[in-house]
Amino acid sequence: MPRRKPHQHRPQRRKEVRPGPGGGQGDAFRCVGCRLEVPLAAPGTAHRNHCPTCLTSLHVDRRVPGDRRSTCRGRMTALGVEVRGDGEWVIIHHCLACGELSANRIAGDDNALALLRVALRPLSGPRLPLLQRAAL
Amino acid sequence: MTDTGSRSVLRTETFACVRCGLTVTALAPDGRRRNHCPSCLHSRHILDHVEGGPSECRSRMTPISIAVPRNGDWMLIHRCVRCGELTSSPLSGDDNQLLLMRLAVRPLAQPPFPLEGFGDL
Repeated sequence: MPRRKPHQHRPQRRKEVRPGPGGGQGDAFRCVGCRLEVPLAAPGTAHRNHCPTCLTSLHVDRRVPGDRRSTCRGRMTALGVEVRGDGEWVIIHHCLACGELSANRIAGDDNALALLRVALRPLSGPRLPLLQRAAL
Repeated sequence: MTDTGSRSVLRTETFACVRCGLTVTALAPDGRRRNHCPSCLHSRHILDHVEGGPSECRSRMTPISIAVPRNGDWMLIHRCVRCGELTSSPLSGDDNQLLLMRLAVRPLAQPPFPLEGFGDL
């Protein structure tokens, strides 16, 4: 489907560190959530930072994406979805070990059903604030 | 200062919102301390969540999305406009419901894939 808004090109940060054993080899990694083998090449992005099937990520970066300076290495699950000004979805990941948040752009082969489940989570729960207000 | 004295000072304490300039009480209706403006939902980068402790940045933080943790409550995710750090904070009772719903439905208003196919699932 064509984008509804004209895509403003935003250059990506250059990535020096490649994930994998030894920091340099390997063109795939194993997801910590669903244990699937995930290739590093991702359509639409140069940074594969989450599993396209279950959207789980690993806490390896500290402040700058790709710096690999975090000592946590905890599992990060998708907490919510943010929409950038150009209409692109960004997954908010939440580290289950230390509680840190990070924002990661979605890739072209991400599971659409899993993405939609995360995006619908605020609207599907029982704590919808407007409904609470209407019930009073 | 005694405990009751500090609490009464806190009850009358106010701050001005960095974006809309609204003078806001520091305590929410439920008695907790607020960290964002109830009118425009903007916040200020006071705490550093990566290193811990107070932050040097002190810049404005915009609300970017609604997150739902396991317990089902809505959390508001803020991003600092200057350094890009993300924080999450709980909602208070008098937050602007219109802006909250806008944040919640914004992903569905601009989907990156057609949503029509999900009707067949």
